[in-house]
Amino acid sequence: MSVILHKEFEVIKDDYIGAGRASSEIKSILGSVGIPPKIMRNVAVASYEAEINMVIHATGGIITLDVTDDGVIKLVFHDNGPGIPDIKKALTPGFSTANEKARSLGFGAGMGLPNIRRVTDEFDIQSSEDGTIINLTFYVNE
Amino acid sequence: MNTKSVINYTLESCVRCMKCIKACPTSALSMKDNRIIVNTKECVNCGRCVRECHNKGLLAHGSTLADLDNYEYTVCLVPSALISHCKNLDEAGDLFHAIKLLGFDEVIDVTDIDAQLLEEANILASESNTTLIASFCPVVNHIISKKHEMLMDSIIQLDYSSEIAARMIKRKYADKNVGVFNLCECEAKIELAKYPSGNDNYDCDHALALADIFPLIRKNMHLGKEKVSFSKRGLQSCNPMRIVHKDNTLIADGFDKVSSVIDMSEYGLLNEFKLMYLYPCFNGCIGGHMLWGNSFSIQNNIDELGKEYKAPSNYEFEDLFSNKYDESTTDTRSFKERINEFNEINAILDKLPGYDCSACGMQTCRLMAEAIVNKEKDLKDCQILSVLEGGKS
Repeated sequence: MSVILHKEFEVIKDDYIGAGRASSEIKSILGSVGIPPKIMRNVAVASYEAEINMVIHATGGIITLDVTDDGVIKLVFHDNGPGIPDIKKALTPGFSTANEKARSLGFGAGMGLPNIRRVTDEFDIQSSEDGTIINLTFYVNE
Repeated sequence: MNTKSVINYTLESCVRCMKCIKACPTSALSMKDNRIIVNTKECVNCGRCVRECHNKGLLAHGSTLADLDNYEYTVCLVPSALISHCKNLDEAGDLFHAIKLLGFDEVIDVTDIDAQLLEEANILASESNTTLIASFCPVVNHIISKKHEMLMDSIIQLDYSSEIAARMIKRKYADKNVGVFNLCECEAKIELAKYPSGNDNYDCDHALALADIFPLIRKNMHLGKEKVSFSKRGLQSCNPMRIVHKDNTLIADGFDKVSSVIDMSEYGLLNEFKLMYLYPCFNGCIGGHMLWGNSFSIQNNIDELGKEYKAPSNYEFEDLFSNKYDESTTDTRSFKERINEFNEINAILDKLPGYDCSACGMQTCRLMAEAIVNKEKDLKDCQILSVLEGGKS
């Protein structure tokens, strides 16, 4: 198993206008390499939700996309804080800590993390005050 | 099934300004050996290049009226959008008469079919658990099958109104050699016929471009009147808002808005809607490139034309579906091969300046890199690089 495609994207804090740019690029990259539409859709939904989370909750960060030759897509969302105090609560549908500004723009419905978990094959989240790391895995050949 | 492009290129008119290449939303145009090449696999017939070209180098033509002689009996289909441009029933009667004088045996409208299609989409969406996309525009259907495969399952495969009408006419006059001519208000609809574009599996025989035919229609105006009447429901097909359930339906018009709706639904952001109507032209089909009206006057016209009561006609359910939609194109190469190619393209892309200037004849540097990998172009074809290298030596 070796990585045959590697890309990094930077996400900027509070950049509501540019939010979604990285997911859009991920979508077009995976589209051009012929990932089956159903998996594409899951990747698109998960990456968009996770990217938006980084914009509204965290202080920005880095998204890493890795595709291996045996058909595993790995997405890592690494931000620099402030972390999620109670992950279990954050995974409950409808729970949200989004501020007024984010809500007024239509974000923060509390469906982000639950939706991400629903569409991924493997989901792992680690959080501390220094930041949150979300690891998402999708299998192309199933 | 993949349809052919209706866009024709004239070398003599082309000034090589590259405007069309830059405007193409699907990157279907490129320049090779000083001429524009339309990639039929990518082209969705949206007509943006036609509007962008100020020298009439790119045009979409329909059939000519000379084709009328090939049939025993000829029928012209008038689009609902054109009818809604008439101020009242007198004017509509005048228009129908003027069209008939061009040599048609019968002139019919498809307003009732249009309205029934909208209602059918409504019913299907209310029974569905997922968001459905209804588009009676071939452009949207092509874009989704070519660029957004993950939404393929969402498309309601209802047939186009001109096709349903053509089948009905052919059944009615089964004993005659009947020719169905569809009058088209935009470039995209010209593909919905056997000729001139050569899409053999359509039931309409010929597509006529309103832009070509309208001067002739105008000459025949004020020479007489046909008796015409329309049902109110039929006329309202020009404004789906009057037919659909308003609460959970999203209507988007204009190419850019349609693109963002498609993008957003890929992220699953529009799941609260049951049905989406997508119209790449502003104001839907009344904003077709070959029409001139605006939505303000058309609302007025619709009310005026529908004053006399006429019962709407209903058609058989199975007749409304189509098998003519594009299938997703399958690439036979493996996932690994494609990623290798992708990395190769990226390596070349790093060498290119990244201005997306189109001077090489490709829309963007990425497409140039792709063409270099496919050996269609050479790194030397990059105008910017050759200038920079010339400066060095």
